[in-house]
Amino acid sequence: MAKERKLHSLRVMNMHIPYHIIMIIWSFISMFPVWILIINTFKIRKEIYTNPFGLPKVWTLQNYKSLLANANFFVYFRNSFLVVVVSLFMILFLGSLCAYALAHWRTRFSGGVYFFFVLGMMLPIKIATIRLLQIMKNLGLMNSLFSLYPVYIAMGLPTAVFILTEFIHGLPTELYEAGFMDGAGRFRIYYNIVLPLIRPALATVAIYNLVPIWNDLWFPLIFITKEDQKTVLLAVTMLQGQYSTDWPKLLTILAMSALPVITLYLLMSKQFVKGLTAGAVKG
Amino acid sequence: MTAKTNKIRAFQGGASIKPGGVYWMRYVIPALAFYVVFMAYPMIDSVRLSLYSGTAGTREFVGLANYVRLFTDEVVSKRFWNAFGNNWVFFAWHMLLQNALGILFAAILTNRTMRGRQFYQTLIFIPCTIAVLVTGYLFKLMMNPVWAGTTLKAAGLGFLVRPWLGDRSTALTCVSLVSVWQWVGIPTMMFVAAFQGIDDDLIEAASIEGATPWQQFTLIRIPLIVPVIGMVAIMTFVSNFNAFDVVFSMETLDGAPDYTTDLIGTLFYRYGIAGQHPVGIPEPGVGAAISTSIFFMLLCGVIPVLRTTQGKE
Amino acid sequence: MKKLLALALVAIVSLLPILAMADGELVMGSWRTDDAEQVNALLAKYEELTGTKIRFEPTTSTQYNATLRLQLDNGTGPDLFYSRSYATGDELYLNGFNVVCNDIPGVMENFTDSVRGAWTAADGSVFAVPFAAVSQVIYYNKDIFAEQGIEKLPETWEEFIALCQQLKDAGITPLANGIHDNWDILECVLLGMLPNYFTYEDRVAYESGEKKLNDETWVKVYSDFAQLIPFFPEGFESIGNNDANTYFGLGQAAMLIDGSWSCGTLMKDYDVNMGFMAFPAPAGNKAGLCLHADMGIAGNAASAHPEEVKAFLAWLASPEGAQITADYLPGGFLPIINAPITLQDETINEMAALSEGKNTDVRFIWAKMMDLYTPMVENLNAICRGEQTPQGMADAINALWEEALAK
Repeated sequence: MAKERKLHSLRVMNMHIPYHIIMIIWSFISMFPVWILIINTFKIRKEIYTNPFGLPKVWTLQNYKSLLANANFFVYFRNSFLVVVVSLFMILFLGSLCAYALAHWRTRFSGGVYFFFVLGMMLPIKIATIRLLQIMKNLGLMNSLFSLYPVYIAMGLPTAVFILTEFIHGLPTELYEAGFMDGAGRFRIYYNIVLPLIRPALATVAIYNLVPIWNDLWFPLIFITKEDQKTVLLAVTMLQGQYSTDWPKLLTILAMSALPVITLYLLMSKQFVKGLTAGAVKG
Repeated sequence: MTAKTNKIRAFQGGASIKPGGVYWMRYVIPALAFYVVFMAYPMIDSVRLSLYSGTAGTREFVGLANYVRLFTDEVVSKRFWNAFGNNWVFFAWHMLLQNALGILFAAILTNRTMRGRQFYQTLIFIPCTIAVLVTGYLFKLMMNPVWAGTTLKAAGLGFLVRPWLGDRSTALTCVSLVSVWQWVGIPTMMFVAAFQGIDDDLIEAASIEGATPWQQFTLIRIPLIVPVIGMVAIMTFVSNFNAFDVVFSMETLDGAPDYTTDLIGTLFYRYGIAGQHPVGIPEPGVGAAISTSIFFMLLCGVIPVLRTTQGKE
Repeated sequence: MKKLLALALVAIVSLLPILAMADGELVMGSWRTDDAEQVNALLAKYEELTGTKIRFEPTTSTQYNATLRLQLDNGTGPDLFYSRSYATGDELYLNGFNVVCNDIPGVMENFTDSVRGAWTAADGSVFAVPFAAVSQVIYYNKDIFAEQGIEKLPETWEEFIALCQQLKDAGITPLANGIHDNWDILECVLLGMLPNYFTYEDRVAYESGEKKLNDETWVKVYSDFAQLIPFFPEGFESIGNNDANTYFGLGQAAMLIDGSWSCGTLMKDYDVNMGFMAFPAPAGNKAGLCLHADMGIAGNAASAHPEEVKAFLAWLASPEGAQITADYLPGGFLPIINAPITLQDETINEMAALSEGKNTDVRFIWAKMMDLYTPMVENLNAICRGEQTPQGMADAINALWEEALAK
């Protein structure tokens, strides 16, 4: 029996050659455009046409230098950073509070609230754009990052509530009982016991929202036209016009805008994969 | 003392939920408020907006006129049904190719004896972290015959030099493929998780019974992940009818060439938000009518699926 | 992790005042992202003269109209903004977004009626100060022409087509143009050709319906346009305006049909040895030139700085201001003030000389027929793909216009 198993696994291992071939081909397909993106930022303008695929014959850092010389560039990054951090903080804070309640308070009403949130997970907020535009205008928030925060927070809450409620629900109740026995208030329990316990789920929620918020073009495109409030991605569309004939420079901007998220991803790819695929698979 | 017991009972979901219920509301309301004010209400109120015409200053109730215009006006309805149809083609590519590739990759990546799985997985997923806009511009360059045409021809690959994004017969396919390329990592990982959830004993038993790996795959593993496939299908459906950036960056807002890559997202932007080039007068009412139609379509697809998956608990 | 987040939040709150700052200066919206350098220099000069600081915030040309509209609609519009001429600009005035310029000194005195007319609404209000005109030209690569022994520029359309054929036979792509961006095939190519076929008076007759848009002249226009198609690059369907500029700039094509406004970027960004010529007229036609009143500058009626806005507009409308502006104007933009202006730049002078002795007119559809814009683009695309005939396009456009007139 054991021998058979071994034989079998050997056979399976041999079978892996076609698998490797498939995966190598697809890895190549995945990475080729990234390669093109990166190497061409080090070329002078003419060379990307004469030598599109290879390493630069003449290496240049000029594209990066001229980009970094643009003071606005840092403003765009600051704005994107602010948008991500503020929105994520609020999503995690409000989402975990709400999930804490929904996980423990089981009535028809709370079940309805929960379903109402989960429904929002499935419907794209873009549908509401025209109304949101009026709301932002009436609130006087147009052209400021403050028009983006509420939208991203609202957009992130359904998934946050869903993931965190399921997670908290799965925690063993004994963990809290001691707290209740000691007479701790519900907020103390949330803060001292629940929050530390749900960290992995918070990370998942954070990553699930981080990428779409950083990469969102739609709402900045509609709400923001002022230079000092533009996010990186919105600036990319504008610079696309400005450097429309200067591909190496444009590619440099594209690469720089993608750099922060890719770096984070490579540092913590496991959490990323989990975070980005969360929300659809339960738990 | 009583307060304390109450708390415990409330916590355990006991009978004395009422005092606890009011208390719990405080935790729910902040999140609910954001969600309602900035998402649920604007979505539902868009339905009302679709019954009005004009912009902010000159709003006027027009009943169903926007819908009449959307579905019967010669130009507008042609554009709408065109974008609607394109969106289904776009969705079909994702459904058939992206999700099939996802299952294939997931099946490979869940082979415990295979080496380098983590490495492949990391690579496959990289495109998912890049903005659609960035990949869109990048592919626009790569698919441009002016860019690498000379080099490719010199290498004997002249057949690759075509106006991929400008030819009506290939443009939508190319846009779809770029999107498939970018997002294949998501279904892959979801299927990986699903395959990993399958009880090993089942597979082992089957292999002892003499089932070939192919049989194990089609007769055991695939049927077991059908619910996940359903979930992925819904996700794909929703995100595809939400797509905008990929066309915006590769094919302009008009869905060039000749509206063949126009999707609901770009159509909605042109009519509802920006107005048609060159004069640029938006018609928020028509835009709201477009989004309302899509809203109900998505709702019809989403609610039954949610009911069944949520119902199982 | 929580502490980190809290720290970040504190940092943000302390940053907020910075975000709210930077008021007190004016903002100028524009569709000329390419000209940022020159306009910034001009505005710096203006600040030096008057102490008013104006910040230039351009938006990509194809998104400008929509963005501006959105900004104005929502009360966040720039204080000064580039105004398109005729219907597109007028539309904003009709919504009450523009400062009425009639009583701004210089506006009524220093411009001809026809120039001012491009920014005058039906009620006689001038909604922007005329700023610059543009034209469409055929850029050519002098080195390629020399290599092919072409010494004389074509004088008629027929010679031009023959020249294209000669280049193509020699294995050179004659024209860099493509149709992917849609707008340039109409605005740069077709509308640039038109003044070689009829005059301003004819345009008025077409607008009123007195002349038909499917008469012989128009069929000839579209047929002549169709002659260009074989000379576009391989894969021209996916070549946008920027790609075409790059293609020409890198010496891959011998000629490029584009707006005069591209002159500056072509010279700055590429080392192509470049010349330009007007569209040659078909044999027997009198040559004309599309000199389009294109760029006006309007004031935002809701601006928080109404005095500064009016002062700037008055400066633009004065001969002194116009002279300084002309010194800074990017290549390819021609001043349209009715005052003696000396042009420093050789290229602008050369460009200005193209119109000498010719009938000039603005772009055909701009004044009254903007509704034909999209149908014309669609039909031209179809002609380029071989799915529409010149006669068919003429009939289709005429039918649309008759329908519009009937309303």
